[in-house]
Amino acid sequence: MAELEIRDLHVRIEELEILKGVDLSIDRGEIHALMGPNGSGKSTLANTLLGHPNYEITQGAIIFAGQDITEAEPHERAKAGLFLAFQYPVSIPGVSIANFLRMAINAKREEPIGVKEFRGLLERAVELLDVDRSFTSRPLNDGFSGGEKKRAEILQMAMLAPDIAILDETDSGLDIDALRTVAEGVAKLHASQGLGALIITHYQRILHYIKPQFVHIMLDGRIVLRGGEELVERLEREGYDQIRQEHSAVV
Amino acid sequence: MSSVPKETAAKRPRHREATLYQPLAGAGARDGAAASAAEDGDSAALLAHLRERALATYETSELPVWRRSGFWTTSYAPLDLGALEVRHHEPATADAAAPLPDAAARTLPERPRAGRIVQLDGSVVSIELDVSLAARGVRLCSLEDAAAEGSEAFARWYSKRLTADRHKLEAANAAFWSGGAFLHVPAGVVVEDPFEIVHVVGAPGSAQHARVLIVGGPTSEFRVHEYTLAESFDGQALHTEGFELYLEDGARCRLAHYQDLGSAEIYDSTTRVVAVGRDAFCHWLPALLGGHLVRQHLELAVMEAGGDMAFRGIFFAENEELLDMFAVDLHEAGPSGGDVHWRGAAAGSSRASMEGLIKINPGAQQTHTYLQIHTVMLSPRARIDAIPSVLVSADDVSASHGGSVGELDEDVIFYMQSRGLDRTAAVRVLVEGFFEPVLGQLADEPLEAVVRARIAEKLAAAREDIEAYAAGR
Repeated sequence: MAELEIRDLHVRIEELEILKGVDLSIDRGEIHALMGPNGSGKSTLANTLLGHPNYEITQGAIIFAGQDITEAEPHERAKAGLFLAFQYPVSIPGVSIANFLRMAINAKREEPIGVKEFRGLLERAVELLDVDRSFTSRPLNDGFSGGEKKRAEILQMAMLAPDIAILDETDSGLDIDALRTVAEGVAKLHASQGLGALIITHYQRILHYIKPQFVHIMLDGRIVLRGGEELVERLEREGYDQIRQEHSAVV
Repeated sequence: MSSVPKETAAKRPRHREATLYQPLAGAGARDGAAASAAEDGDSAALLAHLRERALATYETSELPVWRRSGFWTTSYAPLDLGALEVRHHEPATADAAAPLPDAAARTLPERPRAGRIVQLDGSVVSIELDVSLAARGVRLCSLEDAAAEGSEAFARWYSKRLTADRHKLEAANAAFWSGGAFLHVPAGVVVEDPFEIVHVVGAPGSAQHARVLIVGGPTSEFRVHEYTLAESFDGQALHTEGFELYLEDGARCRLAHYQDLGSAEIYDSTTRVVAVGRDAFCHWLPALLGGHLVRQHLELAVMEAGGDMAFRGIFFAENEELLDMFAVDLHEAGPSGGDVHWRGAAAGSSRASMEGLIKINPGAQQTHTYLQIHTVMLSPRARIDAIPSVLVSADDVSASHGGSVGELDEDVIFYMQSRGLDRTAAVRVLVEGFFEPVLGQLADEPLEAVVRARIAEKLAAAREDIEAYAAGR
């Protein structure tokens, strides 16, 4: 069984069904890309996997590390090893990145992390993301630029060392330098920690830096096409319309 | 044990007016006779005269019921004033090791301090002062002693700005206060550790009329932490307070108040005035953390050119508490600076009203000041009014204000949960973070820890309410 198994997942918000039967398996060390146009359900899937209360699962199951987490609280999923890099990270005024990370790390441990160990982790993560150490003293995402927010997301991911990370349009709003830094950070975590990732994106450019082994195309709440890197190239050539026409029976 | 005069049985029409939400604006309680006594340096005569006048007001006025804005009422009508009395205890001696009242022992941090004076109900029960500071002329004693000694600072400043005739409880304080705290930091003296002034309401039936006079001489620098506390008990009690702090030319003071009257049925009526002289500076941070009914008039006045201030505040009401605050940023001369920033929360069925006023008098040109009030509701039954306003009578100034009333943001809570914090921890972090921009400015770790711990307690107590609120949205 894969580390993360999504089985026939149906999800609605209020009365509107968004996901209409999604199946997906992700193992540690695998890089998956989930692509699709706006409104296809990509972010709904990301939020549902972490247990956002606004998203109601009406059918199907989410299995993580052999446990059914379909009904689990968000913090339980995080502690089990899931991570979501948000498309629009919220700000938390009054709470520094470093303090927040210490709390998040301690939430996963029996004993609080020691000062020296925490500092070491933080320094490595700061280096990985090419940010100044003072960055971690700033209130989380408060007054951050778009690029800083995305860096802060990946910094948290590096510190929390999840088994599987979902990156929800982490590439959006980034200039080319920031995109490279963030993408290389993810690639290093993949290489060094065996991170498995689901990279949700509209565009191909982030996939130039992180090569996915598996590519999934989502249309209208369903994954309609699966393949390898060649799917990315096909999308670049043909766009979503061609695929939509080919799968008009289901979408 | 002495008693305040009993209430007459006859009911008179109650006091209903909005004038209480006006600045004192330097009015003070002194008339011609008081001014003469002060000029002669006759503290005893000054005090006796002002007590007598306040007593006349007390006897002819009713317990206040204030209404404003059409929907807000602060009423002392349920208070059975006739059943209360000023309770006295063994007076303070030179023995600094006198045990603290329980509420103070539970609350006050272990930390270095310059001095401490503790009043339990109507009596000062403990005074201590660093001997090296005493040798440099610092005076920390009961206010009664300062008046009896004929203190020059007492004659000059006592009731210079505090009024005594606006309502019955203010008059009661001026007429009946006992014990009291007096601190004088002479010119040029710099004190690193804080002076602590502690008031504890000890028992039901107690009427505590607390009075504080602090004078910072020219270019002095010092810190003051005032605690207003109560033991836990059933039954009514009263805490009134008149607090005055005067900073003479170039003096600097960091002033903090920690107020937590707990769950007892204690009625609080407090007026605090801070007046800043030429080129002087005050950083003032009240933390109002509970009480059955609390009304605080907090006024920070820049009296002379070059005065500057930072006026911060936090409040947190819970259960059935009512918290009525009026904070004034008054500029009587310019150039001057001001920066007012309050943050507050309300849980349970509590009500909190925070009215903030910037007032710039004619002639206070080149004043620059900003007022902001931010609040968060933690319960569907809680109610908060945040009312910032500006009254400007000069034409070369900048003054602005802003305010917000919000709820807990579920997206932020989900974000924190997605990092492994459970919901309770996420709410705690969110609320603590909300207070942090103000709380962090206490710049005093021991006191910060006390405030943080109390906020955490209140959040823990409100947990079910917060959950129900989230589920209902």
